[in-house]
Amino acid sequence: MESTVLTASKFGAYFGKNHVLKNINLDIYKNKITAIMGPSGCGKTTFIRCINRLHELTPGATVEGNLFLHDEDIYKMYPIILRKKAGMVFQRPNPFPSMSIYENVIAGYTLNGIKLKKQEKDELVQESLEDAALWNEVKDTLHKKGTFLSGGQQQRLCIARAIAMKPEILLLDEATSALDPISTASIEELLLELKKNYTIIIVTHNMQQAARVSDKTAFFYLGELIEYDETKNIFTNPKNPKTQNYITGRFG
Amino acid sequence: MAHIDDELEGLKREMLGMWTLVQLQLKKGLESLTKLDKDLAREVILSEKRVNSYELKLDRDCENIFALFSPVAVDLRYVLAVLKINNNLERIGDIAEGIARFVVDVDDNSFDNNLLDISELLLMYEECISMMESLKIAFETEDTKLARSIFKQDEILDEINFNANEIIANYIRNNIDKTEQGLYALSIIRKLERVGDQCKNIAEEIIFYVEAKVLKHKKD
Amino acid sequence: MKGQGITFRRIKDVFVKGLIILMAGCSVVPLVAILYYVFKQGIEAINWDFFTQLPKPVGEVGGGIANAIVGSLLIIFFAAAMAIPFGISIGVYLSEHGETKLAYFTRLVVDALQGIPSIVIGIVIYIWVVKPMGHFSAFSGSIALGIMMIPIIARSTEETLKLIPFSLKEASLALGVPYYKTMMKVIIPSGLSGILSGIILSIARITGETAPLLFTAFGNPFFNFDIQHPIHTMLTPMSSMPLIIFNYATSPYDDWHRLAWGTAFLLLVFVLMLNIITKIATRKWKVQF
Repeated sequence: MESTVLTASKFGAYFGKNHVLKNINLDIYKNKITAIMGPSGCGKTTFIRCINRLHELTPGATVEGNLFLHDEDIYKMYPIILRKKAGMVFQRPNPFPSMSIYENVIAGYTLNGIKLKKQEKDELVQESLEDAALWNEVKDTLHKKGTFLSGGQQQRLCIARAIAMKPEILLLDEATSALDPISTASIEELLLELKKNYTIIIVTHNMQQAARVSDKTAFFYLGELIEYDETKNIFTNPKNPKTQNYITGRFG
Repeated sequence: MAHIDDELEGLKREMLGMWTLVQLQLKKGLESLTKLDKDLAREVILSEKRVNSYELKLDRDCENIFALFSPVAVDLRYVLAVLKINNNLERIGDIAEGIARFVVDVDDNSFDNNLLDISELLLMYEECISMMESLKIAFETEDTKLARSIFKQDEILDEINFNANEIIANYIRNNIDKTEQGLYALSIIRKLERVGDQCKNIAEEIIFYVEAKVLKHKKD
Repeated sequence: MKGQGITFRRIKDVFVKGLIILMAGCSVVPLVAILYYVFKQGIEAINWDFFTQLPKPVGEVGGGIANAIVGSLLIIFFAAAMAIPFGISIGVYLSEHGETKLAYFTRLVVDALQGIPSIVIGIVIYIWVVKPMGHFSAFSGSIALGIMMIPIIARSTEETLKLIPFSLKEASLALGVPYYKTMMKVIIPSGLSGILSGIILSIARITGETAPLLFTAFGNPFFNFDIQHPIHTMLTPMSSMPLIIFNYATSPYDDWHRLAWGTAFLLLVFVLMLNIITKIATRKWKVQF
């Protein structure tokens, strides 16, 4: 039985008067990778930034409708609590430059003032780095700055930092678009491993990536959800001609 | 292991499953023919449904792999080869079914052993089964040498098929009461010859996938 | 370009290059000369007594500037203690809310403050602090110098923080870290090298300031630092190195001239050290994004 983690119901978002997301209804399922794709400006990034309410950093951002994380209304939660449950990995790797690899992984705890015993910290760091497939590469240099790592390693460090918080849902905003193909491939493999324990949403420009790693794919266009289905169906037999035009590269 | 490797591995498993099934059909067909075991022949006919569902499944899997993983180079040739071999195997399955139907339709209680002997039908049948086995191993181990060995065997089949008309005609002249059996034997030989052709195609696909060489239509 | 041979163009090239080097050399000469002169004159005055003794009354040979060294350090310390929180806060505000009208206005004021002659600041503090208190004090000197530090710290903080990628802030917020902690524990530490170098440079800048101190700390020939009552000490007039230079260099006594040169030398070394420290600190705390 597929259980729902996140539900959007008649969800919409505005930047000032700009209606960037319109009437989005979709369910995100547990332990699945859901890809959100669409051309630039289709609202896909806005959508996942609405999930952890990071879009609120933009002045004039408002929403309508509802987003539920399990049964809790995201817009009735405190953002700082919500964001611990919805981890995010960004387009460019952004480890904290003033912190070591070790400190980066547990940054979510230390910065929030959550006290952990030394042993708990050690375990958490190892576990998170192992889950992020980075442990073997960095276990001897844990106290070096995270920024000395390669781009792909930095991004995996950011994933480790996010999953150290044990989020309900992991949001990846074009997390591989700044990486070379080898690092991209390793992140994709990592995602397939991670979905055993996490629910993942990826936003991607790269259709092939959506096809390769996701179970479900949502196609956004001009702020609307055009189609949402099993990835296989989207890529072999899309129902909507707009989806077909987009994935076949015949857009506009 | 990359994700696509998992998928390709799965494809191989499916393909080999189908292969084993078709081989079984041929083997059971042969047995049913020699013993004129109509129940066994019916079994062969029934299993055709399973072959068909294998074919559909493999078609869909290949389609998904094309759509989702955009295979290139050896992966692309591999999926293309699987797609075509899938087709060939299904045909061979059809032929096995056809032979089994003859067995069911034969009125007599046994086939004339002499007929089977002089027409070299059984030899031909066994040759087909051996070709299928070799090809399966060649596919599994990417052994193109083994795949090429098929072509010689196919020539044997062609020769048997070529001689069959005269042999069967003679047989019917001499055994006018067994005309029907003679005609069945000829039909079966024709069908087995087509199995040989399909096997040749499969071998060509394996060579294409492993060596990226196109052998089709080269010889003639 | 017809008519101009390649040779002519090459000569022009060499000529211009030579001119630039010559100009650069010319401007370095006076600088080196000043350094050399101060060094030569000052080094003679430097001895143990110079650091440990109080100034002697006119006529007596020897004596040192111990009170001025301690005074300078105290005044600078308190000035920095007052200016750093303000400077950094303004810098953070400007980088965080740079688009607002208030920020525009603030930036204008900060820039203006940077351009105000130091003596004007001295007069203003004299009227605002010294006169109501009724007497000169080291504390008023610290205020005057602190005000001079604020714009330097504020602008260097702003520039540093502006260079920090927005994604860093997002990363922190996305972990559920509240805004104030994000600023205090992620953004400011990431810009530490820039902020620190701004602070040190601002200290280097005010170390040699004389004019504002004339109206505020005034000077004091005695060693009046009482370790038990630092605040009380700060409320009395206090000597400092620039004041020593000003007073002694304008006096008619050779021995005092000697002390003034020594002090000038010491100031020079101090500022030089600060600059070197800045360079080291920037490198050491440098954060790569």
